[in-house]
Amino acid sequence: MPTISFSLKDLQQLVDKKQRVKITPESLVELAHYCKGELEGYDKRADEVSIELDDTNLPYLWSVEGIARLFRGVFGLQRGVQEIKVEKGNYDVIVDRSVSGVRPYIAGFVASGGRLDDYLLKQLIQLQDKLDTGYGRRRQKVSIGLYSSRKIRFPVHYRTSVPAETSFVPLGMDKKLNLSQILVQHPKGRDYAWILKGFSQYPVLSDDRGEVLSFPPIINSNFIGKLEVGDSDIFFEVTGTDEAAILLVANIFAYALSERGFTIHSANIIHPKRKLSTPLLSPEKVKIRKEDVRALLGLELSDSQVKDLLERAGYGFSNYTVTIPPYRADIMHPFDVLEDVAIMYGFGNIEPQELESYTVGQKLPIVGFADKFRELVIGLGYQEVMSQILSSKAALYEKMGIKDFGTVEIEQFMSESFSVVRTWIVPVLLDVLSGNKHVDFPQRVFEQGLVTVRKGDIIQDYEKLAVVSSHSAADYTEIRQVVEYLMRQFGIKFAIREAEHSSFIPGRVAALVVGRKEIGFFGEISPSVLSNWCLEMPVVAAEINLSELFGIVSRK
Amino acid sequence: MLFLCLLFMSGGEGKDLGRIVSSLHPLERKVLPFVGKHNDVRSLVAASGLSETEVSRAVGWLSSKGLVESKESSRDVVELGSNGKIYAKDLLPERRFLEALKVAGSGSASISAVKKTARLSDEELNICLGILKRAKAVDIRKDRELVCIITEQGRRLVSSGFAAESFIRKSFPVDVVALSAAEKSVLSELRSRKDIVRVSSVKDVQVTLSSLGREVLARGIAADVADKVTSDMLRSGSWKGKEFRRYDLLAPVSRVFGGRKQHYRRFLEDVREKFIALGFTEMTGPVVETEFWNMDALYMPQFHSARDIHQAYYVKEPKYSKSLPKDVVMKVKAAHETGVSESRGWRYSFDVQRTHRHVLRSQDTSISPRTLASPELKVPGKYFQMVRCFRYDVIDATHLADFNQIGGFVVGEGINFRHLVGLLRMFAREFADADEIKVTPAYFPFTEPSAALYAKHPEIGWIELGGSGIFRPEMMHSLGVKEPVIAWGIGVERVAMFKLGLKDIRQLFSHDLSFLRNIKVV
Repeated sequence: MPTISFSLKDLQQLVDKKQRVKITPESLVELAHYCKGELEGYDKRADEVSIELDDTNLPYLWSVEGIARLFRGVFGLQRGVQEIKVEKGNYDVIVDRSVSGVRPYIAGFVASGGRLDDYLLKQLIQLQDKLDTGYGRRRQKVSIGLYSSRKIRFPVHYRTSVPAETSFVPLGMDKKLNLSQILVQHPKGRDYAWILKGFSQYPVLSDDRGEVLSFPPIINSNFIGKLEVGDSDIFFEVTGTDEAAILLVANIFAYALSERGFTIHSANIIHPKRKLSTPLLSPEKVKIRKEDVRALLGLELSDSQVKDLLERAGYGFSNYTVTIPPYRADIMHPFDVLEDVAIMYGFGNIEPQELESYTVGQKLPIVGFADKFRELVIGLGYQEVMSQILSSKAALYEKMGIKDFGTVEIEQFMSESFSVVRTWIVPVLLDVLSGNKHVDFPQRVFEQGLVTVRKGDIIQDYEKLAVVSSHSAADYTEIRQVVEYLMRQFGIKFAIREAEHSSFIPGRVAALVVGRKEIGFFGEISPSVLSNWCLEMPVVAAEINLSELFGIVSRK
Repeated sequence: MLFLCLLFMSGGEGKDLGRIVSSLHPLERKVLPFVGKHNDVRSLVAASGLSETEVSRAVGWLSSKGLVESKESSRDVVELGSNGKIYAKDLLPERRFLEALKVAGSGSASISAVKKTARLSDEELNICLGILKRAKAVDIRKDRELVCIITEQGRRLVSSGFAAESFIRKSFPVDVVALSAAEKSVLSELRSRKDIVRVSSVKDVQVTLSSLGREVLARGIAADVADKVTSDMLRSGSWKGKEFRRYDLLAPVSRVFGGRKQHYRRFLEDVREKFIALGFTEMTGPVVETEFWNMDALYMPQFHSARDIHQAYYVKEPKYSKSLPKDVVMKVKAAHETGVSESRGWRYSFDVQRTHRHVLRSQDTSISPRTLASPELKVPGKYFQMVRCFRYDVIDATHLADFNQIGGFVVGEGINFRHLVGLLRMFAREFADADEIKVTPAYFPFTEPSAALYAKHPEIGWIELGGSGIFRPEMMHSLGVKEPVIAWGIGVERVAMFKLGLKDIRQLFSHDLSFLRNIKVV
């Protein structure tokens, strides 16, 4: 979720030069909610506001111009779809068929007659960066280029090139590199080389003299592709793999620059078999239903109220047919429009209503079963712990002296210690003991929780109970007493049978059998396992599969 | 008033000898008569026949009652180390070297030959050569190899013996203070060698009788007081007429620790009980989810950034599930691609294989579509889940790789956004004791409209408590649910940390036993 920064004074100017409404850092806390955002901070010295924006489908709000446009509606200073003037331009962009397999789409325009000061340049670069990174999915789907249009001789050519055959001086460097070298030597090349992985030809944008504008989506040229303070004429272009997305981004920029006093001149995008003129500002329409306002929102609104709210939200409204402004592409369903009715009405003005239906609450049966076990184990003096259920194979198997018995592993993990889902809990409890060697003994600890075991293609979660007791006299008798106590309390018929488990001392580990099924084991942990955990006190342990036990018990 | 009090107190102070005598512990009774005749713990042990621990405990109690005065002092004591004990029997390396050299032909031999005869390690050899050269007992010459020759001084030493030899034959332990100046210099030389001697500090406790102690002894400490109530006493009735020893009621006792619930789990239980009381039914789902239930069925497009390899944990093997309901998958695919129920959809090509991909559940909301698609769904109904979720995050004071989420939904005819606001207001009251709430616009891919809930906490001000919304029609249509559904989630970890007074989220899953045993019960 992007966070953008801008000057509060600038926002005030864009919203209302005449200061009929006054925006303060305090009022911004509430206003930010209209953008589905949160005021992150206000730096009084720099007069800088930061707002974090939640909605990844409303990228027009990632610019101060877009936010100001929304606020003008909130204050009723502007209604309906705002139109910007676009002059028919004589700027051709010729698209070669070779780009179709790599990065097929491009849009652009020229903005002239304005003045780029230091602040505005930073704002444009911020918008470019947020759109490239967030909406453009790290430039793969969308990437933007800004140039001084005076340095370009139109038409511009969008084509591909064999990497070694095109060289130019990339932004921020002083020597010519070819496209392959850029991907290796330039920092941006290294950052974004992944996008072009597997392609033998790379996209190139050059002017009619053959002068390179940029190597999209990687880097601009140091000569043409450098926008500077004082520039008055800008060539904007955006390339990508999703035409709807690049057209939206071009519209967002065209609106922002137009509102900054630039005149927008369209560009003709000439594909081998079709032509279009961008920015493409033909608005879409959607039909909403009057009865849905009441059904979805619970609000009784007159037609004129709905019209007023939607026009303030920037839509056009005519008899429940709504015109969507060209800088928005998030409306998929009429309900998306209705949400804006509620936002403009003010969530705070919506009267809450109690639910009237009568329902009976209920916990999961296995939770109730497990809770009874926990209560009994606590009665025996055991301290409960609750752990992360991600663990490592080293802890679950290597340190325990056993083989992997079916583990769900994470493909790309952040840390080895949290790289698999635990398959049993005793190792987790030994980890607890090993971190508490200097704490008073006896140490009696248990955990009741989930494990996940994989058998071939079958993955199964189990609720388990694991207990450990550690002190100088801990032995098999003690842990067997615990297990038998638990079974007795539930009146469960059980048998105990010799078991083999290499985490335990041979001849001191037993299986708990209920209804012919081994549902647990207990015994004395082997000294070699204890020394793997650097433990210096005997430990006895038990682990019982409560899910299986519950299955058996509730069948009877 | 204060003055009177003081007078009163000093008048009654300490004079009740009978009371003191009847509070004496059997060990104190055994030790006290010897104090005066013997004035340190060691000799009290010998005189009383008690163990050192018993005497120490008795002295401690007696001194806290003011009957004796005890003073601790310490002294340095020499003892033999492990090598010292060997050398005391088996001769020092330098002696062995010199004797071996003396018996060799004409008192000269190669060093390696002597080393072998004298059974010396490399380390012992180096040390004893140094000692012997300093004592001028040998000369070393270089021929083809190093050759050693015994000197006159060396021959004298063989018969007179080394000072260190007589030192290590003393009967240890020996007080350092008792050593002569010459012996002290031998000691410091031996201390520089490996584990021949050890010097340690020993604590002595000097015990003397106080005047109160003298008075008590003079009165006589024989008293017919019983120590413990025994079963025999009760059966025979012999307790009758018996006086029981008075205890020191303020003496420190060691701590005990009972079994108890884990603090965070207890909190979660309270939350669960509350939901049940409010008429919600608990649901759950698997830890290993498919992308289908985790994201696709929630109408989250397959290109959504939360589905990046660096956001969620994808499972290594098996990569794909084989058990998805085919008809629901096809409906979800259509909803994503071209839209259903007046929607234009996300307009991209839905990858059916990818929807089967296994991922660790990254959000609790994944459970809702499972329940909504199930024939067991009750309408009207209220449902909740509290489950572990997993995200690709660096673990620090505010992030965990696996954490709990609580959420759910309410389904019913005629439910609308006003009910959602009502539900959120109730949550704020029930879970954050907050009457003042703020419901603000928010964004979730699966709800429209979407809202965030802020509650004003009396102490910390506005906190974001959770998110909510009405499930999108595209989602409901593909799951076959006709009634509107309010979805909600609560940021449980934040509330828990506040209620439990924790600053670090990792403390919710602490493995520190002292912390777990001592954290305040709330």
